[in-house]
Amino acid sequence: MSTIKANAYLDAAGGNTATINGATPVGTDTVQTLTNKSIDAGQLTGDVAAARITTALNATGSAPVYACRAWVNFNGVTGVIRASGNVSSVTRNATGDLTINFTTAMPDANYAIVATSADNGTTNIWNNQAATSSSAGYMTASSVRIATTVGGTQANTTIATVTVFR
Amino acid sequence: MDQRIIYKNDDGTIALVIPAPDCGLTIEQIALKDVPAGKPFKIINASDVPEDTASWVIDDADLTDGVGSNNPFVLQEV
Repeated sequence: MSTIKANAYLDAAGGNTATINGATPVGTDTVQTLTNKSIDAGQLTGDVAAARITTALNATGSAPVYACRAWVNFNGVTGVIRASGNVSSVTRNATGDLTINFTTAMPDANYAIVATSADNGTTNIWNNQAATSSSAGYMTASSVRIATTVGGTQANTTIATVTVFR
Repeated sequence: MDQRIIYKNDDGTIALVIPAPDCGLTIEQIALKDVPAGKPFKIINASDVPEDTASWVIDDADLTDGVGSNNPFVLQEV
């Protein structure tokens, strides 16, 4: 395959919008619009890509942005996962003793988690109960084990959420 | 998924694995990945899970659907 290079391609009338086999040559100064085309993410590099990502996330300032790598919202009483991302399953090891299994593993076990739980019991009043992580050995690249409590006692709760950052 | 995976903890109690909907894995893949290595498991209907799981008793001979195999379906980051 040959490559032809030129500063401008002129059409029959002398304009520089000529096409070759239907394609506009690369390198003209005219602004072009992408329609029904996509750019591979790997082609977006440097400050342009970073700026567009932070804009899309509504992030202002120069502080770096670190993404959530996994999250889940589930009912520990009925055992129903309402919604999740990068979570394959939740294992109820015992009452209020839960393991969150990641679909795709973290790069290591040194991530941070935010875990919360709430239980409305029979009074329909929300009692926020912070979920607590178990011992450090229960954080692995592929899962994290947490405990949910009500009134200081380990219990299944109607809303439990876990978010993982790395 | 209206199915669950059960296996026995080391102390004999039953662990209940609740699959995440739309996670891209089949129930069998989740079982092999999320059940601890070497532990036999059973895939059951969610409706068969008793309300009182703390006193749930399962015969070892009923855990016949496979054995946990150390996360073969986890996609490792590089």
